[in-house]
Amino acid sequence: MANFLVWVVWFGAAFACLASALAVVGFSNPFYSALALIGNLASLAVLFLLLSGEFVAAGQVLVYGGAVMVMFLFVIAYLGDRTDESPWSGGPTWQAVGAVLAGAALLAEVCVVVGLKAGGFLEKPAHVGRPFGSPESIGRLFLTDHLLAFEVTSIVLLVAAVGGVVLGSHARQELESDARP
Amino acid sequence: MKAAAWICLLLPLASALAITLGGTTVSRRVAGYISTVTTMGSFAAAVVAFVQMLDQSAGHRGHVTTSWTWLAAGPYHFGLSLLVDQLSVVMMLIVAGVSSLIIAYSVGYMDGEAEERRYFAYMSLFVFSMLLLVQSGNLLLLLAGWGMVGLSSYLLIGFHQERPSAVAAAKKAFVMNAFGDATMVLALFLLVQHTGRLDFAGVFAASPHGGAVANLIALGLLGGALAKSAQLPLHTWLPDAMEGPTPVSALIHAATMVTAGVYLIVRCHPLFENAYVIQDLAAGLGAATILMAGLIALVQTDIKRVIAYSTMSQIGYMFVGAGIGAYPNAIFHLMTHAFFKALLFLAAGIAIHAVVGEQDIRKLAGIGKLMPQTRAVFLVGSLALVGIFPFAGFFSKDSILSAALDRGTFGVIVYAAGMVGAFLTGLYTFRLFFIVFTGEPTPFAREHFHRHHGQEGPLSMRWTVGVLAALSLVGGLLQFAPLWHPLSTWLGPIERPLAEPTNWQEWGSSILAIAVGLAGIAVAWAIYAAGRARAPRALPLLERKFYWDELYDLLWYRSGDLVARGFYALVERPLVAGSLSALTAGFGVGSREVGRAQNGLVRSYVLALAGGLAVLAVVFLSVR
Amino acid sequence: MHGPDIQWYVILAALLFSTGALGVMVRRNPLIILLSVEIMLNAANLLLIAFARLHGREDGQIFAISVMAVAASEVVVGLGMIVAMGRRNVELDVDKLRTLRG
Repeated sequence: MANFLVWVVWFGAAFACLASALAVVGFSNPFYSALALIGNLASLAVLFLLLSGEFVAAGQVLVYGGAVMVMFLFVIAYLGDRTDESPWSGGPTWQAVGAVLAGAALLAEVCVVVGLKAGGFLEKPAHVGRPFGSPESIGRLFLTDHLLAFEVTSIVLLVAAVGGVVLGSHARQELESDARP
Repeated sequence: MKAAAWICLLLPLASALAITLGGTTVSRRVAGYISTVTTMGSFAAAVVAFVQMLDQSAGHRGHVTTSWTWLAAGPYHFGLSLLVDQLSVVMMLIVAGVSSLIIAYSVGYMDGEAEERRYFAYMSLFVFSMLLLVQSGNLLLLLAGWGMVGLSSYLLIGFHQERPSAVAAAKKAFVMNAFGDATMVLALFLLVQHTGRLDFAGVFAASPHGGAVANLIALGLLGGALAKSAQLPLHTWLPDAMEGPTPVSALIHAATMVTAGVYLIVRCHPLFENAYVIQDLAAGLGAATILMAGLIALVQTDIKRVIAYSTMSQIGYMFVGAGIGAYPNAIFHLMTHAFFKALLFLAAGIAIHAVVGEQDIRKLAGIGKLMPQTRAVFLVGSLALVGIFPFAGFFSKDSILSAALDRGTFGVIVYAAGMVGAFLTGLYTFRLFFIVFTGEPTPFAREHFHRHHGQEGPLSMRWTVGVLAALSLVGGLLQFAPLWHPLSTWLGPIERPLAEPTNWQEWGSSILAIAVGLAGIAVAWAIYAAGRARAPRALPLLERKFYWDELYDLLWYRSGDLVARGFYALVERPLVAGSLSALTAGFGVGSREVGRAQNGLVRSYVLALAGGLAVLAVVFLSVR
Repeated sequence: MHGPDIQWYVILAALLFSTGALGVMVRRNPLIILLSVEIMLNAANLLLIAFARLHGREDGQIFAISVMAVAASEVVVGLGMIVAMGRRNVELDVDKLRTLRG
């Protein structure tokens, strides 16, 4: 019974994921694409939960959905009409054809690999206990085995913040120079 | 004796170097004197070596002296070694002696020439090369001397560089000689392969007897000899070589270089005796050359060319002698021929020198009346050439012919050819003599004749010609086979002749030869001097020298030219030149096409990334 | 493991990745391109989590968290650039930005 439920949830989340991804790529209005991406992120969080990654799922919703997407929506709103575009006008160019082929090729390769059982790498899922994926175990790993990754990530965030400020400050200088008579 | 041999060899080399390095500090006259004195020194050294050799017993006269090992490679050792034995000493005497006389003559002949130093340097170089050739102790050094005489010949034929005909003649001589050199080298390769050595004694002992290899070796050596001695079929260069100055023609193309082929055969006679077919071939070609050259000489109008064809014919006699195995006789004829042929050339040179360089006998006709002394010596030379007793040619030429009688049917055929040749010799020689030196002088001759300080020619030219005339008179008395034969005895231990005619054959042949020669003279007299008979019209066959030049032009030059043109059109232009321009064009087109990928569009770059990723994934997966 | 095996997650992640790649290659609006890049990153994250579950080790989840942090930083910089483009009235079309043409 529990298995059946898991399957149902899985299919729902997977379907939502794919549909929203296609929507992101398909909409001409970027606002709708951003909203579709939020849906994508939510469905992915559900999938993470199914994979016993509770902390990651929570982080996904908070960071991605709560911060990144909000930023996106702010910028889209700021830019307004300039963001419209008609992607599929004029028929498929060679670029589009090439893109479809490349994407299809990547997909096909993965399917082939999976079909060939990938040399036995996909067998034997391990048995995990309750603490798997909990904040406590994640925290312990971050601060012991992967301390370097933790620190470096924080530096990356710092650099990005500085970069954002710099990019924004240029804009402010222009505003001031524009405003001067 | 070894010291004498080395001095004899190296003096001319020193002279050539001195004149070359001295440049303009050596005056032209002095260059001539240097050359003359050193060559005379060479002759003196040769005499010393000869005298020293007389003291030794007959069986022990061969000495090899090696200065250092020239080439050592694995089991092969070739030294810079000189062989001084009976044969080489005779050759040294002939070469050094005649060369010194001719070089002394050149001092007068080439006086006033702008490039006189170059001339004497080349002449000394030639004497050195020829001495190296005859003194060498192994075939490798002989080959070196062989090549160097070819070089000297080229340099001297083309001495008048501004004349295109001279340059062409020099090239022709060199190329034909190069062909002979090539066959000789191939023979040497075979010898080294089969015997492992090239010194004479070793090679003669170890070379194969009979069979294909022996024939090939002998054939290769014969090829070289034919080219150097201008015999059929490699003879066409000799008449053209008359473009060189007259002393050059006398020295190189009469007395010494062209006899190198005979020397080679006589020296390597064991190799030829191992391949008797080739030896018979040598005799046959010699006989054919006697006839052919004699016939062509009948229609020539250039005085030097008549004498050149005569040289060709007489060397044919020497080849007959070597081919039938009468080695001492061949060497004897080589010696007497050097005397009277040099005499004829130099006397002709006096006449040419006196009439502003004109060589056409129709224009020179009758000059004898103005130059009686020259006429006298020319007569001596002509009689010697025809072989009339007691002049030199009689003794040597007849000994060869009579030896031929001892060699069966083939010998008789060769003998007959030789007799016909003797008749032709009388005919063309005295045609020349009667036209040029008897009768009334032509207006041209009268107009352009000039004396040299009241004499017919400079002193240096006159005394040397006088010496040669004396030698042509008495030189033949050295050997008359039935009665006394010191030369055969001298050469006997190393050159055992195959043919020994009986005394009866000798006497009979001699008388027949004189008769035939006199018949030729008589016919010439009848046509050209007394006007009793009319000369037959010259056949085109003879005037075109039996079409040999045309044949070779067709065979070698035109075919080569055709092949070269074909290659150019079919291979070189499309492939080489075409491929280069195609290559550059291809590069241009290729890079333009590749450059189209750099279109600045981010999306296409991403597409490239994705495509690359797809390919890489396949690669990784397949490798596993 | 309850529910679908790991292969299902792999296929799903591949589909997501291809879709994201398609979006990057086809769309001309830089904002949409950024969103497509996010999709691709998320697909990778999904794979990481799935394999972490397969092998029973949380290292994959650690990695996924780092990826999220990096994605956030990248979006900050990217949006900053897009805003700068907008301020200079540069048209928001990737095809129009061709100064790096070879």
